[in-house]
Amino acid sequence: MILAAAGCRDEREPTEIVLRVTDWGSPVVESDFMRIEREILEGFEQQQHRAGRKVRVQKEQIPGPGQYAPKLTMMYVAGCAPDVVHLDASCGALFIDNGMLMDLAPLMARDPSFDRSIYFENVLNITRRGEAVYAVPLDFTPMMMYYNRKLFQQAGVPFPRNGWSWEDFLTTCKALTVMPPGAKMPTQYGFNFENVLPFWIPLLWTGGGDVLSPDGRRASGYLDGQATVEAVQFLADLILKHRVAPSIAERKILGGDAFLNGKAAMDLKGHWTLIDYHAPDRQLDVGVVGLPTRTGKPVTIIYVTGIAISRSTRHADLAWEYLKYMTSAQVQIKRVASGLAISGNREAADFYRARDDQDNPIEAEFHQAVEYARPAWGATVENFPMCEAFGQEMMEDILYGAATVPEATRRAAQYMDAVLAP
Amino acid sequence: MSRRGVKIALHYLVLLLIAASTVLPFVWMLFTSLHGQRAELPTMANLFSPAGGYHFDNYRYVLTYGELPVWRFAVNSVIVTTGVVLFQLALCSLAAFGFARLHFRGRNSIFFLFLLTMMIPGQVLIVPLFLMVQKLGWLDSYWGLIIPYQYLSTAFGTFLLRQFFVTIPHSLDEAARLDGCSELGVFWHVILPSSKPALATVAAFAFIWTWTDFYWALLASSSRTMRPLEVGLSAFRDSYGMTCWSLQMTAAVIVLVPVLLVFLALQRYFVRGVVTSGIKG
Amino acid sequence: MISDRPRNNWRGYLFIAPATIYLAVFSLIPVAFAAYLSLHRWHLLKSDHPFVGWGNYTALAANPLFRGAVWNTLVYAMASVPLGVVSALVVAMLVSRPLKVIGVFRALYYIPAVCSQVALSMVWIWILLPEKGLISYGIRFLNLLAETVGSIGGMDLSMFHIDLSTDLLAMRGWAMAALVLMSMWIGLGPRMVIFIAGLQNIPETLYEAADLDGCNRWQRFWYVTLPQLAPTMLFVTVTTTIAAFQLFTPVYMMTQGGPQRTTDVVSFHIFQEAWRKYEAGMASAQSYVLFAMILVVAVFQIALMRKGLDREEAAQ
Repeated sequence: MILAAAGCRDEREPTEIVLRVTDWGSPVVESDFMRIEREILEGFEQQQHRAGRKVRVQKEQIPGPGQYAPKLTMMYVAGCAPDVVHLDASCGALFIDNGMLMDLAPLMARDPSFDRSIYFENVLNITRRGEAVYAVPLDFTPMMMYYNRKLFQQAGVPFPRNGWSWEDFLTTCKALTVMPPGAKMPTQYGFNFENVLPFWIPLLWTGGGDVLSPDGRRASGYLDGQATVEAVQFLADLILKHRVAPSIAERKILGGDAFLNGKAAMDLKGHWTLIDYHAPDRQLDVGVVGLPTRTGKPVTIIYVTGIAISRSTRHADLAWEYLKYMTSAQVQIKRVASGLAISGNREAADFYRARDDQDNPIEAEFHQAVEYARPAWGATVENFPMCEAFGQEMMEDILYGAATVPEATRRAAQYMDAVLAP
Repeated sequence: MSRRGVKIALHYLVLLLIAASTVLPFVWMLFTSLHGQRAELPTMANLFSPAGGYHFDNYRYVLTYGELPVWRFAVNSVIVTTGVVLFQLALCSLAAFGFARLHFRGRNSIFFLFLLTMMIPGQVLIVPLFLMVQKLGWLDSYWGLIIPYQYLSTAFGTFLLRQFFVTIPHSLDEAARLDGCSELGVFWHVILPSSKPALATVAAFAFIWTWTDFYWALLASSSRTMRPLEVGLSAFRDSYGMTCWSLQMTAAVIVLVPVLLVFLALQRYFVRGVVTSGIKG
Repeated sequence: MISDRPRNNWRGYLFIAPATIYLAVFSLIPVAFAAYLSLHRWHLLKSDHPFVGWGNYTALAANPLFRGAVWNTLVYAMASVPLGVVSALVVAMLVSRPLKVIGVFRALYYIPAVCSQVALSMVWIWILLPEKGLISYGIRFLNLLAETVGSIGGMDLSMFHIDLSTDLLAMRGWAMAALVLMSMWIGLGPRMVIFIAGLQNIPETLYEAADLDGCNRWQRFWYVTLPQLAPTMLFVTVTTTIAAFQLFTPVYMMTQGGPQRTTDVVSFHIFQEAWRKYEAGMASAQSYVLFAMILVVAVFQIALMRKGLDREEAAQ
């Protein structure tokens, strides 16, 4: 009996259907967002109840940095995959290209009530493979340059404007770095650089460089190509030469998020940080602008959370209902009210854009960036997470002074090649 | 004090220092688990006097919190470990009897093979075992947690028991045989009852090795309801990270207490087992 | 004696059958399967498993990251094994003097060895935590000492001031040192117990003879204790080395391969290969390299010790 109770599916009464949904994040952290999520789930259960079905949504959160994709993959391998998956598109290629997810196109075609145009088209395209669609956008964010308006005003520096160049950026950083005479480190930095590849890769793009070749199969020639090397050098110089961004040791001493603490004037982040910036006990006056560019063309990266259905699910119809519910305008408006991200649903996104402060139209800036943003490599290249690790180690080596930029990029490119095409 | 007295005192002092280094972390762990959930990491100053008194309800909270069902992890650990221990006792005692008492062709060679398997590192076995278990459909089930990863216990347990059985006087066997016992009878009525200490040793090792197994448990269980305590604990750490030390430590204490109890009860046997394998091996 | 015990009792096979079948299925077959896997490209999610012959192994030889992992494993072993063996011997000698309550100490020292390595890793993360961990108290004490003393012989001690925010686990070299220290702390108990038994097996007569020869304490140790302990030393060294090569849980919990791959040991590398890159074939090849490493070291150590023993016997 004990052994019969083993196994993954949680079956109680035969009439209740349990829909298993996985998401990342810690299940134990209580926050407003978690409360809203729970209310939304209960809303779905009630909606189904009114339609005569007994449904329970079992939300399984998989905690730990970098653990979501591996643990979720192992669930597929072990044969106990969930019904619905929150998919981080930047590691989506692994799931999409190995047949773990259901093609949603037939479901869309079969359902007359479904209108594809509620989604941003180019965001939806990230999880497409030809005609097949493997996830619909739940929410997303382009990465933008935040600036602390108060610090800019104090320094008398005009706010940055779209189309600004790398030189403009460097000048601005210098103007906003405050180094009192005799001090060991600046009391205020121009730019809060964090060695997280998903954050700094768009800066490579603004320099005309990239980590991988256009077809995503090679790093050699690209990561260690001239444009990229110059871009990486530019970033490293911010820290090592111009000292407008904190070094690794200085970051430790600062502790916490330097931009959040008002110790840095600019930061490259996504929409979600607005939650912290606008928190009642913080109230940072921030503005948002596109990234500085060297090539003249604007570019940035866009991170998408999609919602997908497992191919192995036994409740495809219910999962589809759930998917429609979660991406409907009403639910989305509630879900991103905290400022988490831009809703994948156009109506909900426009709802918040309409509420922009006319002096400081943050949502509009984000929306503008969506037009030219590029998806993450992980949406099409399976082993990109490993490449991310190599890229970050490369940057660490450079920032510790353990290697020059050409050496480090060449070595990292070799490592990346080895995992991209074994 | 005489020179000899000083030496003895010094002796004890050194031993106490080492003991302190062993015990201190556990003491810290225990008292941290009694601090409030929102509290900062306790310092030496306030370790024994947490704000708001001792929070014993942390234990109830950790055990019953729905998202990370520690009680469920504990149940899994108990089931899996009991299964392994019983399985091992059966397997090893039967085999040891065969090696110790019965003569058959190839006996020594096969016994030697048993010993050789102890040289195999777990890493070599885990990947193919995983694939095999996947094919059997045992992944994420008690079968997959109990059966596959006991090669070390089996070889070690058989070795230990065989060494012990060999020391049991044959006269007891003969007496039983004269009474008409078959081999199985001798095994059941003579050897086993005389071997309680050795069997306890095998059980103790199997218990500890299974209860604290992390790697295989991590792979063989996927869904939250199947996780044993070790793996659940690491998920606990992932969830709380740097934020809530007291609950992390509560979970850690819950994981450690059964093992400590078993150890304290059976420590004689641990020592004996380790010594037997070391000296006679 | 009794002559009716058959020479070839087929029932013997029956008794050993369950355990033998078990080992065959869950130990020998996987070993062979691992060898098979290592000759293929076997991705867990893909159904195509092409044969690649020695390809995986040659790729490993050329892979600087794997070579680095092998090096890290060797460094870890070279540091932790001598430390572990010597510390266990010293403590065993301290503990086996005829003192009361020895049993209590023995049990106490043994406790970490039976504990969950996951929980112990959490404890050590706390110990090494910057600012607030146990080690920070030691650092504060040392800093205070340096301040109060001021200077020794003209050398200003303030340069030894250690920054409290130092995160040892994030510093190359120090992270490995922390793991070595942790392994010494954990493995002390079982090693000590074996040495105690070995010490107790040394006949008193040998010590008496040495005393008659007028040996001092050090000579007693060097000429009587050590040689008599040689087989025990061999056993402890070999088992400690084998265990050191398989270090995994602390790396997984505490450093994840460590600051800039300095604690990326082979077993962690295998873990990442199999369960993060999903390459079962390459992971199996790596595990065979580990297996080879273990065998080589074990054989080498045994041969070395045996030569030492032979020489001892010849000298006597």
